[in-house]
Amino acid sequence: MDRQERAQASSVATQSLAAGGAWIVDAATGAARLSAGARRLVGAEAGEPVPDLIACLPLDEASQAEARAAIAAAAAGGADFDLTLHCIEGGEPAALRLSGGAVPDEDGTTRRLAGVICDADEEARLAEEVAARVAHLRSILETAQDGMVVIDAVGVVQSFSRAAERMFGYTAAEAMGRNVKMLMGEADRARHDGHLARYAATRERHIIGVGRIVTGMRKDGSQFPLHLSIGETDVDGRRLFTGFMHDLTEERRSENRTQQLQTELAHISRLSALGEMGSALAHELNQPLAAIGNYITGSRRLLADIPGTGRAVAALEKAAEQVLRAGNIIRRLRDFVSRRASERRVESLAKLVEEASALGLVGVREKRVALQYKLDPEHDAIFVDRIQIEQVLVNLLRNGIDAMETATRRELVISSRLASKGVLEIAVSDSGAGLAPQAMARLFEPFYTTKAAGLGVGLSISRGIVEAHGGDMSAENNADGGATFRFTLPLRSQA
Amino acid sequence: MRGLVYIVDDDDAVRDSLDLLLSAAGYETHTFESADAFLAAPPKAAGGCLLSDIRMPGMSGLELMVALQERGASCPVVLITGHGDVPMAVEAMKRGAHDFIEKPFDDERLVAAVCSALARGAGPREAATVDPEAAERLATLSRRERQVMEGLVGGRSNKEIARDYGISPRTVEVYRANVMTKMRAESLAELVQTALRAGVTAN
Repeated sequence: MDRQERAQASSVATQSLAAGGAWIVDAATGAARLSAGARRLVGAEAGEPVPDLIACLPLDEASQAEARAAIAAAAAGGADFDLTLHCIEGGEPAALRLSGGAVPDEDGTTRRLAGVICDADEEARLAEEVAARVAHLRSILETAQDGMVVIDAVGVVQSFSRAAERMFGYTAAEAMGRNVKMLMGEADRARHDGHLARYAATRERHIIGVGRIVTGMRKDGSQFPLHLSIGETDVDGRRLFTGFMHDLTEERRSENRTQQLQTELAHISRLSALGEMGSALAHELNQPLAAIGNYITGSRRLLADIPGTGRAVAALEKAAEQVLRAGNIIRRLRDFVSRRASERRVESLAKLVEEASALGLVGVREKRVALQYKLDPEHDAIFVDRIQIEQVLVNLLRNGIDAMETATRRELVISSRLASKGVLEIAVSDSGAGLAPQAMARLFEPFYTTKAAGLGVGLSISRGIVEAHGGDMSAENNADGGATFRFTLPLRSQA
Repeated sequence: MRGLVYIVDDDDAVRDSLDLLLSAAGYETHTFESADAFLAAPPKAAGGCLLSDIRMPGMSGLELMVALQERGASCPVVLITGHGDVPMAVEAMKRGAHDFIEKPFDDERLVAAVCSALARGAGPREAATVDPEAAERLATLSRRERQVMEGLVGGRSNKEIARDYGISPRTVEVYRANVMTKMRAESLAELVQTALRAGVTAN
């Protein structure tokens, strides 16, 4: 009898009692004492004496004789009995089950017999019900995605579900009877016996009812992360532990992918920010450098015709050389940071928007932003550098989300339409506070920001990217609140 | 005085220092802080040349040149470009600019450009006619050198040219050096000028 069958049997016994009751009969007189359930069955009021148990039962003659014989035999030292007895035709119930045996006294003589009596039909019906419930439970466990493994107090596998078979690569037959340690990674494997012994001794719960992420080992030796939660039960005085296991491989994989994308984006953003800063710095520094150079060379020319200024002229010439040197350093810096070549291909705008949304919405799901796409399916193929345009979209999405921080309505709309022949216009619209006039004027300037922690290069970079693609970018406030950023890109025909 | 130079630059220090440098070099100078300011007070005297930054807020140096041409008040234009503005400068050359100078520049190069612009005078640059001497230099280029030169004149970077023809950027550098030598060009601006004079119509 395996664990499940035993549980089923004990459950059936309980059901028998529910459908009947217990009896005790005096071997000498035949007088019976009945439990409440048994009294209900025989139709005896509480306290009403039952001088003859068998006579009270609505049995046909043959069954009555069979019952009396069995009781007499038991009273005379015979075996226990378990009979299914037929009732009188048309009676209710149709059959009874009578089981019991002698209860010997300390001196060895039999003065009493005891047993159980129940409605056989009702019992069968209840047993069927229990069997159906067990089957239902079993089917749930078999089809569940999470694996289930039952072990006993020393770690021997008692039950191994279908999902566990899929998860670990062992069949139930292979796993049953072996120690559960074979399913664990090295670290847990060495400690598991200790855990069980400690729990048996102290009853201190560490993992039971809490759950944790552990490493599982498949039959082929490969390891994988899984979430394990454990419950404990007592069945017939045996302590059993049931482990529910959820394979985390897939979740880890998608988590890794998201992390990787975030890292990639952060890296590109930094590079672009660096490139943009390099360009901006190059421009900003070149202006004063050019002026310094002009002043120096102009002064040298002024001094050149004046006698006795030879040393000053020589010094100015050296200064002019140093200006050129500084200019070249800036040029190299700029070349260095803008090294990444733009790679343009025909791309699907819908795909770019989807990827950019996934990246842009990372970590903001709890802000409950409603994102809506209104893309023109007729014009989807654009000729662009995917990463750069995704960066533009992520920038605009992030700005939009930031702008709606305190708004009650949080809606982002990404739309596209044909602006003119071969040119697609993409718009990102938010429902935030809109742009202040002074911000509107300086939006695209490098290092201009309205955010506390902003660097002020996002929009500047975005516009730079769009312009490098031959498009342009603009911003406006919406009539019904919020702001819309628009930019244009070449459609595929320009490839 | 060696000639009249109109200086248009939005950066005060750059404008003032150009003023000093060209004055010291013997030129008469007039300064303007924007293209609009220059157009609002056009020069009364004939002659002279325009020295303008190419990148300015509002009207750019290129747009200013085009506006002057449309008014029929063309004078030779020398444009000052930042690093990386080469494509725009090449475009300016094709539309009739006399020369462009990349920042940072040394004073000799600037003075030479201004001097040459003034020497040409107000007449239109003979862009339509092919300069036989330039054409002769062009003819000495190998097929690959010619491709690289066309890329350069088209405002493309070494790296882009390398990709265009499936060769390494290092190889492009070698071809580029050969091109500069054969075309006797000291700078990209000179190369563009010579190429245009030789009848190359880069696009």
